[in-house]
Amino acid sequence: MVGKRVKCTGCSLLCDDIIIKSDGLYIDEVFGACLKGKERFDQITGKNRILSPFIRKNGNLVKVPLEDALNKTIEIIKSSSKPLLYGFSTVSCQAQLKGIELAKIINGFIDSNSTICQGKVLNTSKQTGMTLTTISEIINKTDLLIFWGANVAESIPRLLNKALFSRGKFRMTGREIKTVIIIDPIKTASFGAMGVRDIALQIEPGKDIDLIRVLKEKCCSPNSTPSKGVAGIDSDDLRRLLIQLTNTENGVIFIGQGIVNSTSNPKVIQELLELVQILNAKQQKGRMSVIMLGGHYNMAGFDQVALSLVGKNHNILFSNNQLVETSDTIISKIDNEDFDCSVIVGTDPISHLPWKLSKKLMSKPLILIDNKKSATFKVADIIIPSAITGIECEGLAYRLDHVPIELDKIVNPPNNVISDEKILSMLIKGLKTI
Amino acid sequence: MEMIVNTVRMVDYDQLREHSFGDDNSLKENLAFGKLNPEDYKKLNLTPSLNLKLLNTHGQVIIKVKQEEDIPLGTILMPVSIWANQITGIINKQLIFKNLKVNAEATKDNVLDLKGLLNIIKK
Repeated sequence: MVGKRVKCTGCSLLCDDIIIKSDGLYIDEVFGACLKGKERFDQITGKNRILSPFIRKNGNLVKVPLEDALNKTIEIIKSSSKPLLYGFSTVSCQAQLKGIELAKIINGFIDSNSTICQGKVLNTSKQTGMTLTTISEIINKTDLLIFWGANVAESIPRLLNKALFSRGKFRMTGREIKTVIIIDPIKTASFGAMGVRDIALQIEPGKDIDLIRVLKEKCCSPNSTPSKGVAGIDSDDLRRLLIQLTNTENGVIFIGQGIVNSTSNPKVIQELLELVQILNAKQQKGRMSVIMLGGHYNMAGFDQVALSLVGKNHNILFSNNQLVETSDTIISKIDNEDFDCSVIVGTDPISHLPWKLSKKLMSKPLILIDNKKSATFKVADIIIPSAITGIECEGLAYRLDHVPIELDKIVNPPNNVISDEKILSMLIKGLKTI
Repeated sequence: MEMIVNTVRMVDYDQLREHSFGDDNSLKENLAFGKLNPEDYKKLNLTPSLNLKLLNTHGQVIIKVKQEEDIPLGTILMPVSIWANQITGIINKQLIFKNLKVNAEATKDNVLDLKGLLNIIKK
């Protein structure tokens, strides 16, 4: 059995250096994947894999033929005036495209997990601008890596292999000349990757914006040195941080969930992006960039697909089969119960969202398209099983640095399970036919 | 005792893995817990047979406790899960998953499993 190089959809890094041995029916061995990646490949035969369609009857889930599940879904959507579509971060761009097409023909509201995650950064950047970079550029050029509220060792396990422990075209000596700064209230597993020259900053919870404001002020003033600390960071560490920020040849700030969801102050991301702009205005020999650390493997894809298709990436509402402006978000739609059924694709909102929203979500007909059981599976009214993209079907996905990566089919799906794209296409066809 | 809860991703306690490969017991064991500093453990008068009840304006949850010295005083870390989301909520139209203020106290009450939790949410 010959080894084959494949991409991994375990997280948004979409590693393209995984070697597998497969006879076309099963994957026998996986080499080079992290724990999350290995689990992704193991999901093919995972004991909680969804392999049959289900419809809830008298409170119990009953196995049904795919046609029945699709017909029942079409029936529910047809009788709905305010359908909600949510998820789409663990499916291909082709399926995301079909999702938006479905939302358009049923006059629905569609959004992805990005809206409560890294989409916040992307949306803020519409006002401030944003300097992005790619993993390749980080490998080749970066000498300063700042992980802000990001525990990458556990959330995107191989990012440090690629960004920190690699040797690039202009960074031949590798780790030795790269400085790591971690800003986090918790001493996470990522702190274990730090060396003597690196800077660990255990910031006080929710005080990120105070630190950013001091940095903005000090970065603007030549040779200014902070006389006192801020947000639990003493003046010596603050000085070291400032020296690194202003002297780096090529720095990158990895924006993690810790800062995206750190505080109810909506300005924190805006001020961070403004800090990056100030640094770049001062930079004479390099630049500072940011990377948004989304978790799901194709979260960035939905933003790309939606922006190119309808010109906006979140809160997409259709009326009379046309895009209309709305001030609603997925949160307000659920919170105000401004929907009468939901189509959830490849995600588990019942686990991910606060219970008050989950309660409202499960009070209306819920259709789930997914490949594994979850809390949402336990409350869904209709369940349609899907193939695992990147293993059982091909498709396009956008890496966390917004670089498109083509995913391949490796093995055939069990039980003739079909892809998310095909399921959504069949729903569209069925709805158009009636 | 007033504390702060942060919901975080933990590679060893991952809800995606538990939902893919686990069962109701492993879900509860590996997701319905919080990590806190041993000093806070003492302050809360916790013992191995007791659980921790967290209560705030968003809701309440009972969890098991693990001690870890690296956790800052006054902070509880919980893996992202349906248990953690019993005390998360919405502030200024934004979902809040970090720095959640809670009142923490030791309790003899049991930790609910997924089925029990879903039943309570439905009610």
